[in-house]
Amino acid sequence: MQQYLLRRVLLAGSFLLMLGVTLQAQFTVEGRVTDSSGEALIGVSILAEGTSTGTVTDLDGNFLLNVPDGVDNLIMTYTGFASQTVAVSRGMAALSVTMEEDVARLDEIVVTGLASSVKRSNLANAVATVSGEELTGVTTQQTVDGALYGKLTGVNITQTTGAPGGGFSMRLRGVSSLSGNNQPLFIVDGVYISNIEIPSGSRNASGANSGSEEGASNRIADLNPDDIESIEVLKGASAAAIYGTRANAGVVIITTKRGRAGRTNVSFNQDIGFNTIIRKVGRRQFTPEQVEEEFNAAERARFEAALAAGEVFDYEDVIYGEEGFITDSRLRISGGNEKTSFMFSTGYRDEAGIVLNTGYERFTTRLNLTHQLSDRIKISSYTNFVNSNSQRSFSGNENEGGLSYGYTLAFTRDWVNLFPDENGVYPDNPNFAGNPLQTRDQTRNDESVNRLIQGANVDVKLLQTDNQVLRLSLNGGIDFFTNETDVYVPETFQSQRGVQNGFIGEGNNRVFNYNYNVIAVHDLYTESGINFTTQAGISYLNFANDFVYSQTTQLVQEQTNLSQGAARTTDQAESNVQEFGIIAQEEVNWEDKIIATVGIRLDKSTLNGDPNQFFAFPRASLALNLPELGLIKGDFFDQAKLRIAYGQTGNSASFGSLFTTFNTFTIGGRNGVNLAAQGNPFLEPERSSELEFGADFAFANNKVSFSATYYLREVTDLLYDRALPTSSGFSSEIRNDLDLENRGLELSLNINPVRTSKIDWTSSFNFWFNRSEITRLGVPDGTDAANDIPSFTPPGVAFGLGLGSFFIDEGSPITALWNNGAEGPVITGDTEPTFQFGWANNISFGRFDFNFLAHWKEGGDALNLTRLLTDIGGTTPREFDDLGGFIEDASYFRLREVGLNYRVPLQSNFVQGLRIGASARNLFTITDYSSYDPETSTKGGSGLSTNIEVTPFPSSKQIYFHIGVDF
Amino acid sequence: MKLNRLYILAVFPLLFTYSSCSFEDQFDPNGASLGSILTEATAGELNLLVTGIEGRMRNGWGTYVTATGSVARELYLFDADPRNTEELLGKEGATLDNNTFYLTAPFNTRYTAIKNCNLLLDALRVATGDVDEMEKDAYRGFANTIKGLMLSQVLALLGDNGVRIDVADVDNIGPFIAPAMAYDMILDIMDDGAAQLQGSTILFNLSDGFEGFMTADKLFEFNRALAARIAIQGGLYDRALTYVNSSFLELNGAIDVGPEHIFSANAGDILNPVFRPPGQSGDQIIVHPRIVPGLMDGDTRISKFALRVDPSVQDGLTSDYESALYASVIAPIDIIRNEELIIIYAEASLQEGAMPDAVAGFNALRAAHSLPAYSGPMTVEALTDELLYHRTYSLWGEGQQLFDLRRYDRLNTLPIDRAGDQVFSQFPIPLSEGV
Repeated sequence: MQQYLLRRVLLAGSFLLMLGVTLQAQFTVEGRVTDSSGEALIGVSILAEGTSTGTVTDLDGNFLLNVPDGVDNLIMTYTGFASQTVAVSRGMAALSVTMEEDVARLDEIVVTGLASSVKRSNLANAVATVSGEELTGVTTQQTVDGALYGKLTGVNITQTTGAPGGGFSMRLRGVSSLSGNNQPLFIVDGVYISNIEIPSGSRNASGANSGSEEGASNRIADLNPDDIESIEVLKGASAAAIYGTRANAGVVIITTKRGRAGRTNVSFNQDIGFNTIIRKVGRRQFTPEQVEEEFNAAERARFEAALAAGEVFDYEDVIYGEEGFITDSRLRISGGNEKTSFMFSTGYRDEAGIVLNTGYERFTTRLNLTHQLSDRIKISSYTNFVNSNSQRSFSGNENEGGLSYGYTLAFTRDWVNLFPDENGVYPDNPNFAGNPLQTRDQTRNDESVNRLIQGANVDVKLLQTDNQVLRLSLNGGIDFFTNETDVYVPETFQSQRGVQNGFIGEGNNRVFNYNYNVIAVHDLYTESGINFTTQAGISYLNFANDFVYSQTTQLVQEQTNLSQGAARTTDQAESNVQEFGIIAQEEVNWEDKIIATVGIRLDKSTLNGDPNQFFAFPRASLALNLPELGLIKGDFFDQAKLRIAYGQTGNSASFGSLFTTFNTFTIGGRNGVNLAAQGNPFLEPERSSELEFGADFAFANNKVSFSATYYLREVTDLLYDRALPTSSGFSSEIRNDLDLENRGLELSLNINPVRTSKIDWTSSFNFWFNRSEITRLGVPDGTDAANDIPSFTPPGVAFGLGLGSFFIDEGSPITALWNNGAEGPVITGDTEPTFQFGWANNISFGRFDFNFLAHWKEGGDALNLTRLLTDIGGTTPREFDDLGGFIEDASYFRLREVGLNYRVPLQSNFVQGLRIGASARNLFTITDYSSYDPETSTKGGSGLSTNIEVTPFPSSKQIYFHIGVDF
Repeated sequence: MKLNRLYILAVFPLLFTYSSCSFEDQFDPNGASLGSILTEATAGELNLLVTGIEGRMRNGWGTYVTATGSVARELYLFDADPRNTEELLGKEGATLDNNTFYLTAPFNTRYTAIKNCNLLLDALRVATGDVDEMEKDAYRGFANTIKGLMLSQVLALLGDNGVRIDVADVDNIGPFIAPAMAYDMILDIMDDGAAQLQGSTILFNLSDGFEGFMTADKLFEFNRALAARIAIQGGLYDRALTYVNSSFLELNGAIDVGPEHIFSANAGDILNPVFRPPGQSGDQIIVHPRIVPGLMDGDTRISKFALRVDPSVQDGLTSDYESALYASVIAPIDIIRNEELIIIYAEASLQEGAMPDAVAGFNALRAAHSLPAYSGPMTVEALTDELLYHRTYSLWGEGQQLFDLRRYDRLNTLPIDRAGDQVFSQFPIPLSEGV
């Protein structure tokens, strides 16, 4: 059907094409473009003003352009440099143009629509862009989401586990959904990619309450950060409306590196480094008297015997004390000619964790090809293969499994000897259900991913005249991966004996997503100076998951095969989602003075009660460039822009919410069924409406730029699971009668205080905060008490109000922590930070580059249930004895990244560049928080809950040495 | 040649042709839906619900036993969850949370089973022609019997807070009914079940846990046995005596006769939730220190308790014994057995003034546990002590002690293990009930 459509469009297009042929007089202009140091700039775009005639500079920075008569200026643009307008006339001499670096990035091209882009200086939204250099230039990054910390305003990133292979939660402008999906949509080169967390089933051995407590990694971890050219973050509905029902939590658009015409560049980078625990919390120290006081006389005797034998250990150090070796190798080859360009990269990262036998390994290759089939047709292909393997072992919450390191250590006294005897037999842990040394040495919780991401794009210029261009963009892609999980606990393990008698759980999970869109874009340049960009098109996506989990217990001794046990079970969870959208957008640009955009997206989804009902998501925005309008003197300001934008996005219920389905189980070999959650076959998407306004200023030759944005985001008809009166026999129902408001301020300042031929220092400051409030629950203001919904605890987000939990209460923030009070639940903390602040600096002096990124999070509480456990186990360090309650201030100041590089001087035609350097991640943290890391989430990354800690895998700090060679 | 802009815009609508393709209605690929059973239920579907009832009764039972047992100081649960030794024992002013697993797990699972009973009753109204009225009566009788049992377990948990009885319609759930009236209503359900079972034809299969009880007559006796237990709980001793006499009570018969919950490691099945491996640390059901010293010399019920190699210490609590109630992870758990019926008979007789009958019951129990015949005073006080002795040791770790001590106002006699601990008498209504 798509091909049929394409044929019709092409036919129509070629018909129109014949009408549009015109002839015009023209003259030739040639010249050379360099940067301030005289180096040739390759690939600078040169456009004859007011036309669509243009070219790019070649390998030596030279260009030659036939300019139509009547054109007075050429406009030169190049990423990272301020654009220039150069006057031209018939018969002039060869031009020599020097372009200046652009701190304010006014000319950066920002992708805003599905097939269109706009200059940053004309943008009506605060779209944050992070370049590949900013992403990975300071230090080596493990994962893409982890690399974004502190580099963007309005983003709250939480590391959910410190286990190798990542585990991050990313929230843009606050909580947008209660039903699970608070993670933004990730799009890589036009492919909607899956960022799912797939649990391994380790809960079936450890007794954790749900898959979200297994500390799974999220699948963005598969991307190689080094492949990325830039990341754009559409933070809210006003910017992301064109993405419709997938965009409620924002959109992260990732563009990978492309080849450029010219010399073939080969670059090879090698890093080596090591992981160490971010900090040690310490163990409780005892005198014999104290042992007797806290335990009993018998325990004192054991302690004294251990002291005498020199067998009092520091189990925190024994388990978490490893220095994990890291190696990261990356090869990139790029080049091309006028017709075809390519970028090939391959990377291999191997990382050992701070616990013995944990680690992460990722092999990636990528081939990006662009081919200019003709003047009018350009095709591109982006192919990425990933193989990743992780050994994550056990951490976080559990019940009676004796597997989670932190949980076990909380109860383990340092004077018990858990080391294996000479026969390799691990003694039982007299204090808890498992011996952590045996967990470390003899169990497995591994994950393996093979993933192919293929994107393709065909860009057809259907029509090009002197005043209009009609372009058709066909874009699509596939994200396919298999994820295999493997959990093994031997039958000799303490908590297994007499119960499961050995455990194997293997997941075979398949994800197959594909999406495509067809968009026509029409640019019209009018003589009045008003330009119109019209686009319209369709979008389709299909996400299919098939998760199969098999488990065997009652194992045959020493066997690790699924068939080698007496009790075998299999579970399967399938889902299939289709969505279809229609897009239309009109942008009007009056000489870069006023830029107005209106657009709409109509979406339907099989996740909605009526799969064929379209829901409309409109947007509108306006940007005013004051100097261009003559409202401000133009010679001081390089930019002074006021902007306002409004838009809506949606989010459909998670798969399965429409159905009331029976669970199946057995007794005595017979099948039985029962009901759990009550589905709702009439669900509609929740909707986020955002109004954003702000101002951007740049002055002093673009050396200073400042941007301020305020947003008000209202999420209405939120989908949420609400615990029903369980006496109904249903545990929960899904509703959508809750409204939520997020508002916040984002400020960023970029300065270039020193720019000389020797020293160049740029510094950027990002400041942001968000506040939320539940504005409706059930009937507004409880006006109809009989039909109102009482405040409630969302299912599965915490461990009850006795310990502290999230609690949905009209008029209160959604991020608050609540405890039982004398007269019902009361707020005892709030996980929302008061504000966050990121400070990035790049200083080049001579051949040295020095960079650092500091991140300050002020406020935001965390519920430290690790300490609750160590209190009961008698292992809390004495310095924390006087802490009252378990809600703690999770403020911190952290040196996230710091790096020093040296560019070695060379006299060689073969080796073009040689860099050596050293860097570190998370080098130091200042915090009052009493556990490993104030950033924590025992319930994973996708839901409402972060900032609840139960014995996480401790975070690590990393130190690296780099060497890089360019040929 | 100028191009009319309208021509170009005419291209766009072509793109929309695709929108005519429509999505099909959705179904769940992962399981059967509710709708299919509530329209034309076949015998096979009804049997799925019956097995669902029998299987789901078992879920949450482990927590029921350990939570009520901790409050009643018959056991401690030393495991990974601190609330078992803090909130349940009222440590330092802690109260019972109305939104925590020790309440919600037993409460929710009781009502999950009740939901299946109500679904079965509903489905019978639309059952296909291959199920006749006598067969339908057997289903109804079974559904009502289990429904009554589940409701009585909730009521025992919540005490004076009462129980919701009318819960068939999710949109119109009935009120919490106070105990006095609730016991009458639950016994009415049991009586309905008994009447339906009598003379019915059983089309369904229960598990081997019901071996010897798979006839309409025996299920009727099972119903009467449970009704006797419920009547005792409601203080309706005369009815209890009637019920127990129509049950499978055999004063001098084997004490272990009765239907059981069975467990296995088979696919989709669950393991005995009250079993813990002997000697295990970190997750162990510990016998409260008041229990073992209270046993009479020679009482064979000592076999329910095992001496630990190391005394267990957690959260300031110590005990030398762990549970040995079940031999393995697939050991069955009695739903009700002759031993309890003998105690019920004795208690009802005592309360109805028939002391010799009560003593006959106690002596039957004593004989079964290698103890000499009762030789104490023939007073109500002394015989009540004797009764509670048997209830404590015959039914240890079976989820009845909290109720027994509350009924005889003995909770205030329990030892306080740590300064500041409190003894609660009942659990609160779960938060999600919204009352």
